[in-house]
Amino acid sequence: MAQTVVVTSGKGGVGKTTTSAAFASGLAQRGYRTVVIDFDVGLRNLDLVMGCERRVVYDFINVIHGEARLQQALIRDKMLENLYILPTSQTRDKDALTTEGVAAVMQELQQEFDYVVCDSPAGIESGALRALYHADAAIVVTNPEVSSVRDSDRILGILAARSKRAEEGAEPIREHLLLTRYSPKRVQGGEMLSLDDVQELLRIPLLGVIPESEVILQASNQGIPAIHMRGSDVAQAYDDVVARFLGEERPLRFIQAEKSGFFKRLFGG
Amino acid sequence: MPAAQPPKSSLRLSGGVFTLSILRLADLSPEALADELAAQGTALQLLQGAPLVLDLGECPSSTPLPFAELLSVLRAQGCVPIGVRNANATQATAAAAHGLPQLRGREESTPAAAPPPVAPAAGGVLQQGLRSGQRHYARGGDLVCLGAVNAGAEVLADGHIHVYGPLRGRALAGVQGDETAYIFCQRLEAELVAIAGVYINLDAEHPLWGKAAQVSLEGEHLHIIALAK
Repeated sequence: MAQTVVVTSGKGGVGKTTTSAAFASGLAQRGYRTVVIDFDVGLRNLDLVMGCERRVVYDFINVIHGEARLQQALIRDKMLENLYILPTSQTRDKDALTTEGVAAVMQELQQEFDYVVCDSPAGIESGALRALYHADAAIVVTNPEVSSVRDSDRILGILAARSKRAEEGAEPIREHLLLTRYSPKRVQGGEMLSLDDVQELLRIPLLGVIPESEVILQASNQGIPAIHMRGSDVAQAYDDVVARFLGEERPLRFIQAEKSGFFKRLFGG
Repeated sequence: MPAAQPPKSSLRLSGGVFTLSILRLADLSPEALADELAAQGTALQLLQGAPLVLDLGECPSSTPLPFAELLSVLRAQGCVPIGVRNANATQATAAAAHGLPQLRGREESTPAAAPPPVAPAAGGVLQQGLRSGQRHYARGGDLVCLGAVNAGAEVLADGHIHVYGPLRGRALAGVQGDETAYIFCQRLEAELVAIAGVYINLDAEHPLWGKAAQVSLEGEHLHIIALAK
């Protein structure tokens, strides 16, 4: 049976899709058969970040409505052969995701894959609820600022109450905190919440910290998951995240502000 | 523009939607009704002067209702009956004779469909904290919360509230009006605290912010002091 992982946040623009793409790629790099599903109906983005937008013919909604078979809608990743993308529709809205339809697709994917990664839309409405319903684990993507933390807190409450596991009284969803867009310098300056502040507020295990970086923007503009941006701190940080998710111990990186050396200060960075 | 049109008549007819109280009359003699109403005690005060619809759905259809007597009993108690519903043809005619029209209301909740009365739980212990958007009400007793009450969460109790994690959301003690209720917390960072409806908003300027504190009601003001060590 596959493990279902939802990438969620409550708030928009915090890095759910970037994380879904990088995380799914990381799992596939390690040899797991992985599929990543875009639940953000009407605001199709995952295919762009994965660089497969020109190959979308059928989508998740077509499959739910029986207009296409699952095999027709799955797109094989251009870089990793055991990674598949299930894109969503840009022209429909979230009501197109029916409970039964999603359940049927999830069940079919469970047979085929080791990991099913669900990229949740922002908000706490039906789309987000459908995305988290089947989850075994959740990655709660949070930015170090108060509104994002509060929305993550809200979504954690919903994870504990509205998922399939909660309804069936099964073991609760494993919750992981992923802090993204972290800028140690701005934390030091008091402009951002620190890692400790966020953990103190949310009180769930930390999966990793992704530093704020221009590489993310370059990666998504090029349609390359950030984990493939060789040598960048972001790629290393996402690699750590995947390793920790799979049970490896890795020390936290990129949480200290770089000390600018004498020459750097003298000649500019 | 409506102002441009001169009024043709000083009378204006328009529609409106009103919420009305419904009194279900079972098989009752006027005397029994008087006794039952008297037994309601303070609950009856809520009906003073309020328009009331009489639901005849549970009255036996065969026997004619003594409308005149029933109405005088109700009016004597300060109720203002304005109509009937679920009346059969004979009952409706009799009601109309007393100036009570038959009203068609949505049948929303019959007593049979109402949930069975929940046994009053005397307070409770919350093992886990509350997250933003969650709400917990300890009916009929005290509430003990072992974890945090996060910003945007709400704890309510008829009695005292004890929070052992940080209290960042709202805490409302004595919500049924118990003015002797207290709020105790290990870290006061609440958005709002209230006792018996008297509330105060807090912010980081408060001298006890982040500290262990107790809140009580003294007269008409909330009194926040450090929790004695």
